[in-house]
Amino acid sequence: MKRLRVRHEARFTYQGNANASYNEARMLPRDCSGQQVLSSSLTITPHGPQFPYRDYWGTPVVGFEVLIPHSELCVIAESLVEVNRPLRLATRASWVEMRHEAEARCRLLEHMDQTARTDPTEEVAELARDIAASPRDPFDTAQAICEAIRDRIEYVPGVTGVGSTAKEAWVKGKGVCQDITHIALGALRAVGIPARYVSGYLHPEEQPEVGLTAQAESHAWLEWHSGSWMGFDPTNRIPVGDRHVLVARGRDYDDIAPVKGVYAGAEATELWVDVKITRES
Amino acid sequence: MSQLFANYGRSTDTGRTPAWDEMFAATGGGNEAEQVRPGYADLYEALSHMSQEELRGRADALASSYLAQGVTFDFAGEERPFPLDAIPRIVEASDWARIEAGVAQRVRALEAFLADVYGRQDAVRDGVIPAHVIVSAPGFLRQAAGIEPAGGVRVHVAGIDLIRDQHGDWRVLEDNVRVPSGVSYVISNREVMAQTLPELFARMSIRQVTDYPRKLAAALRASAPPGVEEPTVVVLTPGVFNSAYFEHTLLARLMGVELVEGRDLFCSGGFIWMRTTSGPQKVDVIYRRVDDDFLDPLQFRADSVLGAPGLLNVARAGNVTIANAIGNGVADDKLVYTYVPDLIRYFLHEEPVLPNVETWRLEDPGSLDYVLKNVRDLVVKPVDGSGGKGLVVGDRATPEQLEALKEKVSANPRGWIAQPIIQLSTIPTLVEGGMAPRHSDLRPFAVSGDGDVWVLPGGLTRVALPEGQLVVNSSQGGGSKDTWVVGTRAGEAPTPVVPQPSTRYPQAQGSIHPGHQLGQGDTFDDDDNRLRQQIEHQQQSLGKEA
Repeated sequence: MKRLRVRHEARFTYQGNANASYNEARMLPRDCSGQQVLSSSLTITPHGPQFPYRDYWGTPVVGFEVLIPHSELCVIAESLVEVNRPLRLATRASWVEMRHEAEARCRLLEHMDQTARTDPTEEVAELARDIAASPRDPFDTAQAICEAIRDRIEYVPGVTGVGSTAKEAWVKGKGVCQDITHIALGALRAVGIPARYVSGYLHPEEQPEVGLTAQAESHAWLEWHSGSWMGFDPTNRIPVGDRHVLVARGRDYDDIAPVKGVYAGAEATELWVDVKITRES
Repeated sequence: MSQLFANYGRSTDTGRTPAWDEMFAATGGGNEAEQVRPGYADLYEALSHMSQEELRGRADALASSYLAQGVTFDFAGEERPFPLDAIPRIVEASDWARIEAGVAQRVRALEAFLADVYGRQDAVRDGVIPAHVIVSAPGFLRQAAGIEPAGGVRVHVAGIDLIRDQHGDWRVLEDNVRVPSGVSYVISNREVMAQTLPELFARMSIRQVTDYPRKLAAALRASAPPGVEEPTVVVLTPGVFNSAYFEHTLLARLMGVELVEGRDLFCSGGFIWMRTTSGPQKVDVIYRRVDDDFLDPLQFRADSVLGAPGLLNVARAGNVTIANAIGNGVADDKLVYTYVPDLIRYFLHEEPVLPNVETWRLEDPGSLDYVLKNVRDLVVKPVDGSGGKGLVVGDRATPEQLEALKEKVSANPRGWIAQPIIQLSTIPTLVEGGMAPRHSDLRPFAVSGDGDVWVLPGGLTRVALPEGQLVVNSSQGGGSKDTWVVGTRAGEAPTPVVPQPSTRYPQAQGSIHPGHQLGQGDTFDDDDNRLRQQIEHQQQSLGKEA
């Protein structure tokens, strides 16, 4: 069990002024199995009204608007989260049970369809099918697929962009957690395993020291459903544990973008992001 | 014997069951007057005293009246008077009782379905409709989840398209619960017909259509956010270039409310405001004639200038009512259509009053093969098209068109349905050569604001002007007819049509579905849309995830 404090700051700088800016932030952690939010808040400068709600995926969203002219927009999300994900035995459905359950529920079925972001190359689909062809249950298959994908992608920041698709990243053979997650989702869905995109944070130290603040980043991983949802971090090849703080879920990155919005005025010239995590107890 | 009907014959199509003619029980022999169906007796009598020249004179006067009033449509870049045929369609009281009950029932069921599909999804859980039909429907908008419409109404206006088959039975062809259009023609057709055939208005008891704007305004006010005493209602139009702009102006004028465009609205502080010369005014109800995709660039197409950024979150906060609601497209999806009879049984515990048209779901085993092999005998339609958009009539298509269609259907069976080619009923229509039978359909309009569904007595009768043509859209050379619902004569009580209880989902066993209330769609011409200018940019997504 860990108590983690997260501070996530995003700063947009505009050439000239922006105004009539309407946005949504998905930067606040949510309560879910293994995770309880003790406090969370969003500070926006220039200050404006906030409209919190939960979206279809259960993510806490804050709508906000800045209607006065501004040359900079700053969004700071701060939260204190208690994380407790003890290792437990996974529910292991058979292939037939898994399919039967998914076909009866919209909330599972919609995670079996590819999106433009996850659509796999033929090579990825084949790799996934080969793994699924050996006598493993869905749980072991899913984990083997995630690891096989990770083996083939070199973790290199700056090669792909925020808008990259799984296909593009696969062709490059390089990418970051977002790309590895998209590719793995595409592979899992290609063999009929429901799988969803998860955004959040990961404490960079394996054994975080209490009271020390660590520099971190936004992180992405996935959950597949093989009888129950199982969180797995393909980038680090680890099950999701007490170092992970979950923020949002969706079909792909487009469902969880931390800040999205429209505004009138000059194009944003700069974007500065900073994430810090402190273990408090 | 009327001179006008001297050459009136059945459509020249052979080899098919003949279409049901709504005026004559049979043609081509015997005494013409004796074959006239009872509802058409007065009309026939009036026409029998008229020469073709006289009727044509009246029809010309009608057309020039429309041109003068600006009731026109754009045909190949040319402004033409909206083609209104001088011969009305008559719907007898007993037929109307069935249509009214059937349309209202359909709207109640679709309203309950929408509340469920954006809520608990009981119908999926109980196996009434498969999960894949929902999640694959282009009109299932996840942004709509969590918006609780005032009074539970999502379908404020519905247009339910009906046809009459070869046996004279009314059937539902499609539901329109997004942005249904065409009601302005119902209103203006009636005005000009009163001048065209005044003698009949004196003799017959024709039910009024002038109530429509008042009923719509009342429904919109009733659906205002709770606690708003004097709601401000506006009509939101995509603008003057939209093919239904005439309708938007007419409805705003007749309801006495403002007609606005996206640029006239802005969100601030959790409310939506209209810019006026005396400062911003809060807006409570938006009767929008802009498609979902263009309504809020923050949620949907970021390049749209036809809506207002932030609008959805104002609706989510319960501070504005969007009529019709966002996400209704899942209910008029043509694959969902095939499940509507069961949805009626499940949600209302009633048997459907009006049957569907037989429809192939191309995902069913064997269906796709059958349809591909028999495509010449079928009508194939895209599931999210409305008003005949993208539809292919097998025996009218060229071999190239059919090949292209087969390819598209095979690539995406979920995106298409197929139906038999039905001979729509015919009604006498004045064409170049005189009076001739022409195929037609009927779009009744239903309005709901507080849970009660009101069906406008009448509706838009569309008629295919080319001989034998089965598609009645104005973009395909279609015209319209005034639709006269005749009242019962004094002392004769109308027989109400009461839906039969459903045996499959009886009341007692059905679960209680709280919050299922009533509600309504577009296809006469779809509202077209312009793109947002380049003055706005999408906020860069907040950095790449590591």
